[in-house]
Amino acid sequence: MEPPPLPRAGAPIAPTTSTSTTSSSNATKSFPHLEILSPAQLSRHQFLLPKKRINEGSDVSFFLKAKAYSEIGKFLMQLNRSVCPRKVHIPLKGSGGSVATRTKSFPLGDDRKLWGGGNRAIGKLREVLKEVADLVAEVPPEDNPNRRFGNAAFRVWYKKLEQRAGGLLNNVIGGETGGRRGDGVKQEEGREEANEGENDRMLEEVKAYFLGGWGSAQRLDFGTGHELSFLAFLGCLWKLGVFHRGQEGPKGEEGEIERGIVLGVIEPYLNVVRKLILTYTLEPAGSHGVWGLDDHFFLPYILGSAQLTRPIDENEPMPLEGSMPGAPKPADIIKHDAVERYREVNMYFSAVGFINDVKKGPFWEHSPILFDISGIKDGWGKINKGMIKMFDAEVLGKFPVVQHFPFGSLFEWELDPAAEDKHVERSVHLANQPPTTTTTASPTAAPSIGIPSTQVPSAGTARPPPPGAGAGGVVGTRAPWAGAGTGPSLTPRGGPPDTGPPPPTAFPRGVPGRANNQFSVTKAPWAKD
Amino acid sequence: MPRLVWRDRAPPQKADERLTPIPTASVDLDECISRLYKKELLDERVIEAICAKTKELLMRESNVVHVQAPVTVVGDIHGQFYDLIEIFRIGGFCPDTNYLFLGDYVDRGMFSVETISLLVCLKLRYPNRIHLIRGNHESRGVTQSYGFYTECSRKYGNANVWHSFTDMFDYLTLSVVIDDKIFCVHGGLSPSIHSIDQIKIIDRFREIPHEGPMADLVWSDPDPDRDEFSLSPRGAGYTFGSQVVKKFLSVNNMTHILRAHQLCQEGYQTLFDDQLSTVWSAPNYCYRCGNQASVLEVNDQGERFFNVFSAAPENDQVKDQMNEKVAEPNALPDYFL
Repeated sequence: MEPPPLPRAGAPIAPTTSTSTTSSSNATKSFPHLEILSPAQLSRHQFLLPKKRINEGSDVSFFLKAKAYSEIGKFLMQLNRSVCPRKVHIPLKGSGGSVATRTKSFPLGDDRKLWGGGNRAIGKLREVLKEVADLVAEVPPEDNPNRRFGNAAFRVWYKKLEQRAGGLLNNVIGGETGGRRGDGVKQEEGREEANEGENDRMLEEVKAYFLGGWGSAQRLDFGTGHELSFLAFLGCLWKLGVFHRGQEGPKGEEGEIERGIVLGVIEPYLNVVRKLILTYTLEPAGSHGVWGLDDHFFLPYILGSAQLTRPIDENEPMPLEGSMPGAPKPADIIKHDAVERYREVNMYFSAVGFINDVKKGPFWEHSPILFDISGIKDGWGKINKGMIKMFDAEVLGKFPVVQHFPFGSLFEWELDPAAEDKHVERSVHLANQPPTTTTTASPTAAPSIGIPSTQVPSAGTARPPPPGAGAGGVVGTRAPWAGAGTGPSLTPRGGPPDTGPPPPTAFPRGVPGRANNQFSVTKAPWAKD
Repeated sequence: MPRLVWRDRAPPQKADERLTPIPTASVDLDECISRLYKKELLDERVIEAICAKTKELLMRESNVVHVQAPVTVVGDIHGQFYDLIEIFRIGGFCPDTNYLFLGDYVDRGMFSVETISLLVCLKLRYPNRIHLIRGNHESRGVTQSYGFYTECSRKYGNANVWHSFTDMFDYLTLSVVIDDKIFCVHGGLSPSIHSIDQIKIIDRFREIPHEGPMADLVWSDPDPDRDEFSLSPRGAGYTFGSQVVKKFLSVNNMTHILRAHQLCQEGYQTLFDDQLSTVWSAPNYCYRCGNQASVLEVNDQGERFFNVFSAAPENDQVKDQMNEKVAEPNALPDYFL
């Protein structure tokens, strides 16, 4: 059977409507995006060494109202939208104003323009990724028959990375801190020294997120918390304006730099991490086994589904359903040959390809969540929307994952004035708890997974109603940055994805002291004496 | 006798049906066991009755159960049902072989319900031939996050069996001592436990707390690079080193600590001059770790022998059914609805 043609890189494919006379407006709407610090802001900016702030379940509630949370979300939405296919309108000759609408897609591949080859910072980041990957060759896995699981050589690798990180990052950021240094502005001597120190602090702040992106050397594992750290690292560079420096000449296409980050940096980063996982047998951090989306990753499922979503005009929001013409079907992820064909061009298929590489057994059995998602009939837009909601609840909203995320001056532990208190109060991730019982305030409450305001089913006799009955008012919310149209009520049945760091099982941290509230059901005769 | 209905996905029951308990006396355990060996699900009311009966049985067990060799000790299973059956094939079926399971029966795997159903039925049928210790996953809190809750809801359409099982988990014992010499526990030692008598006075009939000796027993890990206790990176329990192990064994006049709780590439690991071993019984963990698994056989001379095995052949055979299975829109996580 003839395989369907691969989408050609950057080329308009699959002509669709031929007579839509669109009025593509010049006024591009403002979609969620991460603000770049202005030179004036930068010159006043005080950098901070990022610090752990999330120490107990209740801190997650604050995080969901913090600036850092909203900015990470905005940055991700910005990246997400950038790889969504675009409509291209081509006037038809001699047809009285009719236009043909074609689709321009953004696949992975060698097209230099697509992965931001023209962008200096992206080019430098790719060099960094190459060096990080080459470091693996320098540190072969140890042959230690008495090792438990993860290969301890990863600790050596990580130490080397720590030693080199400063130099590597300096290459990316160094001398590019526009408003901070240079820019032809003559500065006084003392001021210059102060700037020198500030530059070091900036490097340290950014480095913390960079180093957090490769897994835990202590626990020899990798999870979505580490992936989140790398996303924040890119967000730091974005805020610092690193991607926009030296971008003289004609302004590039809308979203071009973001696309370069996704296709030219994030996917290669994921490939380096895959190499680390395989080389040093890193454990899935806090894996939920078959009940998680994936043992290690989340981003490729968001960004990869965006790549296949229904094409949009520049002023349209992300579609909530529909697929790009000619896109593989969601059901193709369970077909081995389709995955092999599309993993080179699409991040979702690339992630599924890695699962196929490492997992044995039937796909429906080892990856039931992805399997069920493959049955979605409303296209990749629907999947994209769901993935974003799931990421919000299962990564950003989960204590075991975000407890390791540090906060500094760029991703701040500060209340976001725009945060909708009443929504975030009963946040999305509450929804993943089993229903609460409303009958009596029994002293048997089990420890809550994350959030103080929720009660977990009691050990008592009263049966809580089945899920979905709405008892206990499990009210979800959507992130302020999440796409439009997401309903307020989330009571996910599907298992959470792998959580980030703590291995192999993280203790679901509840409210301190809660344990004291628990009661003993029965005392055995021998228990007291 | 109740009709034991097998359903891949049982429809939700009507409220009045749920309220009708099945008298435990009328449950045919042998029939349940033979169905479970075929990986069939039991009716949720049968599960409820079985769990109620198991609670009564477990309530009478001490926090430190004393058993005699020979006994075969099994580590984490995590719902890998085919591999549990493989263990019985290799080590002998119950009651021909005595078994001690070190906990973590549920979560992560696809067949936690089938796994714990079978183990509980065997416990009820042969209470002196099989012992079940509580692992850190035998808890409401952990099973809500790591899959067992989701699995129960998907397979039964409601959370009733999750409630039955997790209520029963509160009664599982915390430790076993083999021939007064080998101390068996799921995780490890606790800074608040010097003597085994201190375990006996723990009030264990409860959800696993965040901290304290009961939490430590199910959460702690050995650390070969240390001597003493340190806080565990898991967020609960401690890591403990060689001096801790040495002292515990000498105070309690024992020779060995046997525990599970950590994935081992070779299926087991011995540490501290053979004073402690980890036994891991989930081969090719999570379908991908490529690890071996083992059970530890203790013979009547007190000698220990690791019986190492790989993933059960069923794990591969079902691969061919891959394309017959269709995605279930009803099972979709709500994020995607």
